[in-house]
Amino acid sequence: MAEQRNLSISGGLTGALVGLAAELALEEITGMEIVNGLLAVIGAGFGLIRIDRRIYEGTVNLLKRVPVEPNSDYRDVLEQIDEMSLELPELRESFVKLVQAGIEAQKA
Amino acid sequence: MLGLNSLSKLFRKTIGPRIEALGLLPHRYYLHRALDALEEDDIDEAVRMVTLAGNDKKDARWRLVCQQVIFRCRVLASQHQKQLDRFETEIEIFGKPSKLNNTYLRLQKAEESARDILRSYELSLFNQLNVSKHDSVTAE
Repeated sequence: MAEQRNLSISGGLTGALVGLAAELALEEITGMEIVNGLLAVIGAGFGLIRIDRRIYEGTVNLLKRVPVEPNSDYRDVLEQIDEMSLELPELRESFVKLVQAGIEAQKA
Repeated sequence: MLGLNSLSKLFRKTIGPRIEALGLLPHRYYLHRALDALEEDDIDEAVRMVTLAGNDKKDARWRLVCQQVIFRCRVLASQHQKQLDRFETEIEIFGKPSKLNNTYLRLQKAEESARDILRSYELSLFNQLNVSKHDSVTAE
């Protein structure tokens, strides 16, 4: 015989209220933001695990944030990137891979 | 879970920064923090974190993050240089207006000092990169 589950809305609400009260009380007593702290820890954990993804995103952001003068064309921008990445071989390689990926995506 | 979080938060607020400064935390932690700082253009913190993560300078991830910070330093320094050039051109064309003279000089000094700070950061990281390159050549 299947076990019947009884869900109590009032019980759920009471639990949520008690949780909120506990968090507020802890925050008042210790001065620490529990939920924010928890989110920060979770975020840092994911960041540590996904470091390669973060490095890739960092490289893309770096390119996006290269300032472009209003009158300059793409050759000027490429020249600027080339100049700024002198003697930075690994970063240069990443930039080339990104550009190649962009060209491939356009072709497709 | 709540207790664990409180403990970790307490750790981060009390002895965390001291342990962080000792370079005892995992290598990836510092890289993660360096990338965060770089995203916010907090170059000082990014350089500090990259330096702390630099125990293994042959590590490909460290080298890439280090080069990202150097690249950003160069971009920002070039912006300050352009601003300085603009000031000089304006002064050459319009002459030094007496009332604005002090303001111009102050702005010029601020731009110069920002550029120099960024260049010193770049140099410091570049030396670290070259040390790692030199080490790998010696090992071969």
